Amino acid sequence: MVVFRRFESAIDQGIGRRKLGYLVIVLVVLFFLWFPNDTSQSNYTKTVFISGFFYAIMSSSWALLAGIAGQFSFGHMAFMGIGAYAAGLIARDGITFALLGVSISPESISAFGSIIIGTIAAGAVGLVIGWLLLRLRAAYLALFTIAFSELFRIMMLTEYDYTGGSNGLSLRPLLQIADVDAARQVEYYLMFGLLVVCLLALYWVANSPIGLFLRAMREDEDAASALGVNVVRYKILVFVFTSMIVGFAGAIFYSDVGSERIIPEQLEILQMSLIIAYAVIGGMESLIGAAAGAFISRYLLEAMRQVVITLPFGMTTYDGSDAFVWEPGFWRFALFGVVMVFTLRYMRNGLLYPIITWFSGRDIVMKETVSRRESDDNHAARIEADDE
Amino acid sequence: MKRITLIVSIVALLAMIAMLPMSAVQADGHCEFAEDSIKIGGLVPLSAPGAVAGGVAMSWAINRAADDINAACGVSIDGVNHAIEIVIGDSEGSPERGQAVVERFILEDEVHAVTGVYHSAVGLATMGMLDENGIPTVFSEPWNDNVSANGIMEYDGRPPRNADGVDHVFRVSPASSMVGGVVVDWLIDLGVGNVVIIAENTDYGQPAAADELARFEAAGATVTQINVELGTEDFVPILSRIQASADTPDVVRVLVTGETSYNLTQQMAELGIAPSENTICVTNQVAFQSEQYWQNVPDGNYCAFNRVGIIPSLFSDTAVELNAAYFEEFADIVPSYAMASYDAVWIIADGMARAGSSSDGAAIVAAIETTDLDLSQGRYYFEYGNHNPDLPEGTPAFMWHQWPDPVVTMMQYFEQGQSSLDAAVIFPEVYQTHGSGYIAPGTSP
Repeated sequence: MVVFRRFESAIDQGIGRRKLGYLVIVLVVLFFLWFPNDTSQSNYTKTVFISGFFYAIMSSSWALLAGIAGQFSFGHMAFMGIGAYAAGLIARDGITFALLGVSISPESISAFGSIIIGTIAAGAVGLVIGWLLLRLRAAYLALFTIAFSELFRIMMLTEYDYTGGSNGLSLRPLLQIADVDAARQVEYYLMFGLLVVCLLALYWVANSPIGLFLRAMREDEDAASALGVNVVRYKILVFVFTSMIVGFAGAIFYSDVGSERIIPEQLEILQMSLIIAYAVIGGMESLIGAAAGAFISRYLLEAMRQVVITLPFGMTTYDGSDAFVWEPGFWRFALFGVVMVFTLRYMRNGLLYPIITWFSGRDIVMKETVSRRESDDNHAARIEADDE
Repeated sequence: MKRITLIVSIVALLAMIAMLPMSAVQADGHCEFAEDSIKIGGLVPLSAPGAVAGGVAMSWAINRAADDINAACGVSIDGVNHAIEIVIGDSEGSPERGQAVVERFILEDEVHAVTGVYHSAVGLATMGMLDENGIPTVFSEPWNDNVSANGIMEYDGRPPRNADGVDHVFRVSPASSMVGGVVVDWLIDLGVGNVVIIAENTDYGQPAAADELARFEAAGATVTQINVELGTEDFVPILSRIQASADTPDVVRVLVTGETSYNLTQQMAELGIAPSENTICVTNQVAFQSEQYWQNVPDGNYCAFNRVGIIPSLFSDTAVELNAAYFEEFADIVPSYAMASYDAVWIIADGMARAGSSSDGAAIVAAIETTDLDLSQGRYYFEYGNHNPDLPEGTPAFMWHQWPDPVVTMMQYFEQGQSSLDAAVIFPEVYQTHGSGYIAPGTSP
């Protein structure tokens, strides 16, 4: 502890924690930029990273919606699915605007064009849902988005003539690179670049006046409204914004970048709960925390499929080996659940909160949230004391 | 005397201890294996949202096949025995995960061949990768027609796998189109004219209903289709509509899976709709799991059901042994996908032995194309491949690299609490076990 204090004071007197934090971010970015060039890494590891980047986008955008704006939605995976399915269907069948008499053939739409249309579709549906629902408060949004997600999933499952049902829908490949290694390299950088761009966009919103309004609404909608914040407008705005981000990420990821087809099972509530769990573990009110939580969780869940345990003190297994392979299988999810319970009970701001707070030199969780939680805790403690 | 007994006991004990490692050496040592084993990847769903129960059964069967092959001295290549080593990968039933696992199989585990795959979506997503990387593959459960058809036909913008002269993908499970039709053919043979189909609202129930409806109508039958949601527990309102109908249906066909299928069939039986004197009950193939069936559908005697996979009365010695081992492990009858997975490993091993190589993909493919093996599900062979590339007109493209003889039959219970091993096979005629195409309620075959 003394050593750490000395280190802390040396940092404070020297480069400063904040600058050190930026330096760490730069080093992390450099690591991710260098990683695919490490020839000892296989394409499989790169695939795991690509998947990690995708889920980092999902979790961080959900953190903006739920952690910062206080809109607890379960529809995130559905909007991702809308982006991907719309892109796939348009690239395959084209699009017809019957009222306008305009028809666009699939041949005239590029893969990227279909992704953009998919993103717009996700935003448009987000707008309608938001307009209908975001006047509602508390549990209603959560309940409706659960219903909406299930409805969308069942539609994708049952309209198999169009969507391929559980066999899934192939999207038009975004990249047409014949060499597998080169393709994986480009896919890696594309997904990493997308994560960086999304995080910057999310940060821009969170730190703009809109972000301030969102936090004000989260703490007290009536007070924010009384102070002139158009609550419904900003709720819809953030809902549409995050819907478009995940729609875009989904359309890109399933355009043979991370996966070559999307299936309705990806839209199950279980998948959505994983996104929430990643954000909770990383820190719901920190965009970078949620992103890191998702990436690290995905990586560890993958790494834990097979764990090689080396025995200490010269011990050997019955066949004379000094190591054995442990395959936790589904138990790794149970372990993940234990981590989540621990986080919720003891580190409600996420496991990365102490690290990010230390580097930033300030409390990353907005003061009002902390004070509210503290007062909630104090209130709960008082009730317990009264009961005794 | 006591001392002598003690000494004899100690000597006997020491002798037994000394014998243990010797017998172990003998057990391992009756075959000498080369250092390099043959790695076969088993791609199965072991986590949600995949079908975990199916994945566990397939994984067990794949490992069992490897154990049996190794017990028979593995794969002999140029006179040297190579042990089979299984690497299981969890697809989670997701194409994304399936692709990642296949990539791991190829790059990190360096497998020589791949088998398994339960979900068609995973098969469709991985077949291209496996072919491009020259990995001989025998899929054991995906049903989608395109899994084999893409060998010679374009699919989803992808050129035929055989365009470069070698298609590395085979299938020993039936194609969807091979399964449809058996129920309808049987019922039309029985002369039914008024059919009610109750189908679940999923991509299993709806296409199956559409397929059967078209076949029934083509045969001149009248069909009423009722759709239900999976998870529905109370079917009385739907069944009351059938009961109130002026025309008593000749048959009620249940195209609903799992627990919901059991609920529906029981309620149908309780209401006296079917099985009855006038109406045939045709339920889903989950009825084959007789223990679960009778627990949930105690009034379901005389219901018929379709079955994919070899029928118990035709079990070969291999199938009987496999079934006994499976029963010991899972207390249930071995499902067709476990049998297919078991057989697939043998087919790969046989192909490698005949090709004289575990790494020459093209040679192994050529050997597998000429497979002629009797295994747990029957005689395996592939009618169409580069050894016989021209499919006659009218032969569907999915017959390419497809085992042509997966058994699809109609079965019927005729005794309360009967094991599905003893149920009657009623269609096709060639497989009939009790000399009857249908056992009317209240009668015996």
